[in-house]
Amino acid sequence: MRLEKCWFCSSTVYPGHGIQFVRNDAKIFRFCRSKCHKNFKMKRNPRKVKWTKAYRRLHGKDMTQDSTFEFERKRNRPERYDRNLAENTLKAIKKIDKIRVAREERHHKLRMKGKKAKEQKEAAIELEQGIHLVKAPSVLAQDQSLTLPKIKVKVQAQAEENQAMEE
Amino acid sequence: MIQPQTHLNVADNSGARELMCIRIIGASNRRYAHIGDVIVAVIKEAVPNTPLERSEVIRAVIVRTCKELRRDNGMIIRYDDNAAVVIDHEGNPKGTRVFGAIARELRQLNFTKIVSLAPEVL
Repeated sequence: MRLEKCWFCSSTVYPGHGIQFVRNDAKIFRFCRSKCHKNFKMKRNPRKVKWTKAYRRLHGKDMTQDSTFEFERKRNRPERYDRNLAENTLKAIKKIDKIRVAREERHHKLRMKGKKAKEQKEAAIELEQGIHLVKAPSVLAQDQSLTLPKIKVKVQAQAEENQAMEE
Repeated sequence: MIQPQTHLNVADNSGARELMCIRIIGASNRRYAHIGDVIVAVIKEAVPNTPLERSEVIRAVIVRTCKELRRDNGMIIRYDDNAAVVIDHEGNPKGTRVFGAIARELRQLNFTKIVSLAPEVL
């Protein structure tokens, strides 16, 4: 049994799952589930649909070049059965998988670097610009005590931001 | 799901271009025909100057269907069109060539000639 890749989302198609579409020029399109099949029927381009592997690879969301991808390849030559080889392969699969996951995690971490600081900065700006929605500007002008929260909040936000930067 | 009045493409060079199913062979009151079933069909469109002519009644075997074909191993295959190959009463194809991909089920049903002529068996 061969584990094929879905034409649309590039996930693995296990035996007994999904559907195959054969075009008249005998090109086979395999789909892992009806979701992918339907999207194909709608003539959607997998490179433009955000949840597919093709999109994520294209837009630098996922790791694209890595030596761990070299192992998983379609080979059309049948391998002669060798007990030791099979044993070693099974061991290697686990190890390679572990390495790949770790590298992917690292890639994601690197990609998300500076995200938190950016988010906090944006939140502070929004708070400053939107404080009039919480308290009317006239009220703030009338009652000096009420202006305090505004300043306080602003200072707090900035202080938080500074702390985050320090970290 | 081929039933009487269904139009089918012709996947060989027999000279017919389009068929219309008028009867399904094999049972007295069967509703639908699938891949590998023999139908009686009428030629709706034919290539000029060929032995087969328009409105001639022939037999044909279905080789591709838009309706999914489910195999015992769980594989589900769907084709682009409904297509048939024109055969005689012995099950031999009238044409000398077969076009497009063809389902493997035809081999078990003793249409080996068609299978051997096909460019792609899936």
